Amino acid sequence: MKCEELEEKIIDYLDGKLDKESNIEIEKHLETCERCLDEFRDLQEVIKIISNRKEIEPDDSLRINFYHMLHNEIKRSKSSGTAGVQREILPWYNHIFFRIAAGFALLITGTLIGLLIHSGFTDSHQAQLEELRSEVTTLKKAAMFTMLKEESSSYRIKALDYADDINTPDENVIGILVKTLNTDKNVNVRMAAAYALAKYADQQPVCDSLVRSLSLQSDPILQVTLINILVERREKSAVKPIQEIIADENTLDDVKYVAENSIKYLL
Amino acid sequence: MQNIPDETIMEKVKGGNLSEMSILFERYHLKLFNFFFRMGLGRDISQDMTQNLFYRMIRYRHTYKEGACVKSWIYQIARNLHNDYRNREKKTGDLFVSSGILPSDVAETTDSYDEDDYGKLEMALFTLSDAQRELIVLSRYQGLKYEEISPLVNQSVPAIKVAIYRAIRQLRSVYFKQT
Repeated sequence: MKCEELEEKIIDYLDGKLDKESNIEIEKHLETCERCLDEFRDLQEVIKIISNRKEIEPDDSLRINFYHMLHNEIKRSKSSGTAGVQREILPWYNHIFFRIAAGFALLITGTLIGLLIHSGFTDSHQAQLEELRSEVTTLKKAAMFTMLKEESSSYRIKALDYADDINTPDENVIGILVKTLNTDKNVNVRMAAAYALAKYADQQPVCDSLVRSLSLQSDPILQVTLINILVERREKSAVKPIQEIIADENTLDDVKYVAENSIKYLL
Repeated sequence: MQNIPDETIMEKVKGGNLSEMSILFERYHLKLFNFFFRMGLGRDISQDMTQNLFYRMIRYRHTYKEGACVKSWIYQIARNLHNDYRNREKKTGDLFVSSGILPSDVAETTDSYDEDDYGKLEMALFTLSDAQRELIVLSRYQGLKYEEISPLVNQSVPAIKVAIYRAIRQLRSVYFKQT
């Protein structure tokens, strides 16, 4: 064998990709050619260092940002109706959005007229505005409750958008969100509920229900979403349900991986 | 349910089941982050690029051809993102970034094991041309087979083997010169 021939094969040789005959040929050449042996040793060392290279871990923010992005894209695809699901077409005045929008419009005009009539009394302006705000919140709550009963999952996701606008949710709102998270038949709706609840996770009861929900969810994406929300909050009580997820033989490998990492983070 | 092929998952995503993308994210994000990082993009930009890549996969899901290898598709997007970034960089003429070497990155890559060896090799890696470095990163760090790299870089397997041999030789000469 000539030195040039060795050059062609040396990487494959180092990777153990050659057949027995070629291996013997190369070894014979290396025994007799000092120059090639030197080069061989150097290359071996370089390859050894490269293959011992550890992978670098990205920050947690990468995973968190990905799931936020995914969540938004799911919402977007549902609302533009590209999922291939046939929608029921209603006359425009019967359309639930128009009905709700009309409700808002009526309320606001009514209040504005009221404000104009009472324009002499500046003190009452403030009170009227407060009243208007609280009525809008009530209406949004009502819209949310109604729309969550809709058959179409995109309406139910829209309903959860209203939850985002309710700054101080009462027990009823939290209750319906938790119920949606645990029982809705559509995974994207359940995920939207999880994100809506995450906003109020600094309230202990909300946080507890997220932890409880973890044992109820079998869908990989929800398991990961909930784990991420709870890890972000450093919620130690989540350790037990996460360990159960790891122990469960039905759990997807990828979820197990996230779960195991999150335990390290929580302990 | 344990080992669903990437292709089956991608077909579900294409069919509108976007949440399945989380499985591909969990399978690939670490490798891809390391691809960008090894190509010298720095930690923050590598994270952005990884995020962008999954965004593109979702946005352009309809362009995925059923049955096509998902891994190749992913690396194709990764290379495009990297090239786009380098081109933008050339246009804006950011000298510090376009040198390829960020001292802090090199420091970061030299973690626990035999720090000196790694640091030196990491420096040597940046003396390679972009194309050479890419081949080393894809074949050695990312563990792609020559047959997988070939369609990506549009070169034959023997040509790739020679190029990798030359690149490793150059690494060797830089590496042992530093000693």
